[in-house]
Amino acid sequence: MSQLSSSASAPTPQFPIHKRRLRFLGLTVEDCIKSFFGGNALISVVVLGLITFFLVKEGAGFLGQNRQNLAIYRLAGLEFVDHLRRQSEDHTALTRYLSDLRLRTLNQWTGPGGLTLEAANARLAEFDDYAARFGDAADPLRGMVSDLSEVATAIKTKFLVNEDKKEERRQLLAEGKVAEAGAVVITAVDFPAELRPLRDSLPAYREANREFSTRLGALLAAAPRLPEPELQRRMDRFAELGRTYVATFPGIERDLAVWDHARPVSAAEAFTAFIFGRQWLTASFWQDWYGVVPLLTGSFLVALVALSLAVPLGVGAAVYVNQIASQREQRFIKPGIEFISAFPSVVLGFFGIAVLGQALRAMSQLPWLSWVPGFPYSERLNILTAGCLLALIAVPTIFTLAEDALNNVPRALKEASLALGASRLQTTIRIIVPASLSGIISAVLLGLGRVVGETMVVLLCAGNRIAIPDFTQGLGFIVEPVHTMTGIIAQEMGEVVRGSIHYRALFMVGLVLFILSLTINYAAQHIVRRYRISIG
Amino acid sequence: MVTVPSRLDSTPPASGPAPARRPTVVEGVPPSVPAPAAGQPLVEIEHLDFFYGASQALREITLGIERQKVTAFIGPSGCGKSTLLRCLNRMNDLIEGTRIVRGSIRIHGVDINQPDVDVIELRKRVGMVFQKSNPFPKSIHENITYGLRLQGIRDKAKLDEIVERSLRGAALWDEVKDRLGESAMGLSGGQQQRLCIARAIAVEPEIILMDEPCSALDPVATAKVEELIQDLRSRFTIVIVTHNMQQAARCSDRTAFFYLGKLIEYADTRDIFTNPANPQTEAYVSGRFG
Ligand SMILES: Nc1ncnc2c1ncn2[C@@H]1O[C@H](COP(=O)(O)OP(=O)(O)O)[C@@H](O)[C@H]1O
Ligand SMILES: [Mg+2]
Repeated sequence: MSQLSSSASAPTPQFPIHKRRLRFLGLTVEDCIKSFFGGNALISVVVLGLITFFLVKEGAGFLGQNRQNLAIYRLAGLEFVDHLRRQSEDHTALTRYLSDLRLRTLNQWTGPGGLTLEAANARLAEFDDYAARFGDAADPLRGMVSDLSEVATAIKTKFLVNEDKKEERRQLLAEGKVAEAGAVVITAVDFPAELRPLRDSLPAYREANREFSTRLGALLAAAPRLPEPELQRRMDRFAELGRTYVATFPGIERDLAVWDHARPVSAAEAFTAFIFGRQWLTASFWQDWYGVVPLLTGSFLVALVALSLAVPLGVGAAVYVNQIASQREQRFIKPGIEFISAFPSVVLGFFGIAVLGQALRAMSQLPWLSWVPGFPYSERLNILTAGCLLALIAVPTIFTLAEDALNNVPRALKEASLALGASRLQTTIRIIVPASLSGIISAVLLGLGRVVGETMVVLLCAGNRIAIPDFTQGLGFIVEPVHTMTGIIAQEMGEVVRGSIHYRALFMVGLVLFILSLTINYAAQHIVRRYRISIG
Repeated sequence: MVTVPSRLDSTPPASGPAPARRPTVVEGVPPSVPAPAAGQPLVEIEHLDFFYGASQALREITLGIERQKVTAFIGPSGCGKSTLLRCLNRMNDLIEGTRIVRGSIRIHGVDINQPDVDVIELRKRVGMVFQKSNPFPKSIHENITYGLRLQGIRDKAKLDEIVERSLRGAALWDEVKDRLGESAMGLSGGQQQRLCIARAIAVEPEIILMDEPCSALDPVATAKVEELIQDLRSRFTIVIVTHNMQQAARCSDRTAFFYLGKLIEYADTRDIFTNPANPQTEAYVSGRFG
């Protein structure tokens, strides 16, 4: 074949060491193979880049829209009314505290050997009268809130109608229908004028507030006394909460006095309203909120419950299989655990609804388990149910990777330890697990990534209530229903109008999820790399 | 059977239920126990047949290892030197399917393969240094104190003292005394191997088994380890497996030559190298095969 190559580079045919090249479209076979693999790698990178770009682009649009959303909230005076509304709601919370206290008292009095229900109710007459007077005290405030709400809603509607008309005119102009466009009447909303009823209500509000605080002050001073020290402590606590509440009034008045409808909303404000927003409220007649915190806490809590089950299970099983089990047991356990990941997650979710949720709830109602925080509960689908199933999903990942890490510990270390008179258990705990610790941590992190990204199970089993769980009851929060980031995207993405603020908000949630997964995976890999080096 | 010359033939047959048999658990035997009888070896291996699953690795090994001497095991690769060495602290227990079909190994007269023997106690008394240095991925200090902590020694001053003594014993102290807290993985290969020796002597075993301890070391490091073995022979009974004939000749008092799982010849090192009784031994030590 030396004739094929140019004679200039082949001076000695007796010593044929030149490459024989088969060319195909001017490419050698190696070139083709190289470009095949290179092309595949390139496609993956490009696709990843495109997805990232798409996410960021759609998500970034959200900031502008949310800014607009918040600006209207302010311009139309909704923000003003919400100051009053919050005041009214805080009062309602106090009323609830009272009715809760009444229930406790009633339960205690009608307990074994106690009063009959009628007698107990009769004894509570004074309390009821007090509670009613306390509740009624806020009537003027409530009336004011509802009046002003109407005003603000009207302004907002007017503004939105105008926006729609502007859009209509723009479209007509774009189509070249100048005459029709001219016929669309747009009357710019004169916000200062429209907001006059709100501002004018201020003196009346101050007056009402003074009246309100003196009434509350008198009521709190004359709170009924309860015979049992435990209940009386709660009553005292009520009075204390009430006084704190009254003390907030001057602050509210000040806020209202300086409130300015035209204060611009910054981009940072639109962003923090998303990242730190505690409400996710869509399609509301009053005001939409896109705050990721409830979803983030939901995802986080479900993942926490899942990991606190999956880490001991997965790592424990890995240690057992790697260090203790006989080969026969290994042959049986390893595929068994890995088989779990063969379940489609929708099947697991279905199982969660049909079996696990029921079973856990039934278990929570067993009297001898009532010491468990949160037990008994009635919501079948909640953090606990979803967490248990997600643990099942995380176990194979954690098990396999942790087992790998344990396996990577050189056998020589185990022998060295045993030769020094260590037992198997001591060797495992003091040498093998520490030597593979970073591998195990990264296994746990990847398990976390798996759990955070899992969608179907949480959508089906987490209960889908968009709210931050109530942490005041201690660990009881784990039986509350939540919604998660993945769940909300899966649930709402199909229904939203493309390009609307809601649609973009979902992309922002996706972006948060993406960044979270990326960080977790990066951390896991980083730790593994360090561990490779340290084992050498 | 192959000729097994010299002293072994003269040792009294120790088979059968010896009346002077000690309690089977090695525990409680202080390292400084006097010899049961003059000339009786510390380790007595008798008619040992050892199997990996179905394949026999040791055949009919009968051998006595004397106290405070260096005994070398030589022979071509795969002849069973490591296997026999690992029988002495029962490291073969870790490999599934291994079994001793016949014969016994006794240390201080105690059969170490009896079911009531605590392997952990055995391994505390029979230390081991491996072919490839295997320090733990911990600090130098922690490497040495590992075995001591396992025994429940917590007293910091005492630990420090033993660390220094062991490192001096392993001729490593001057090189590492300023970096005891650093990772042992940062040491050179020779230093790591001496650290492993220090780690083994820290728990004060009676017997130290060394499986080709220098095979991964350069000549300078090898010389240091060999020198160390000379220092240690006064305090420990050492069994060393080696590939290197010169090393056996230099460091050992007694040499056993194995071939295909059999003990071919066992004699004073000088005799093995200058005047071997068996032609196979002669062929091997003179480098004609192996
Ligand atoms: N873990 C094992 N499983 C099965 N056979 C083994 C194992 N280790 C060693 N052997 C066999 O036992 C024989 C002796 O091996 P070994 O004692 O390691 O020889 P040496 O140390 O003299 O080179 C060899 O034939 C080897 O193949
Ligand atoms: Mg060997």
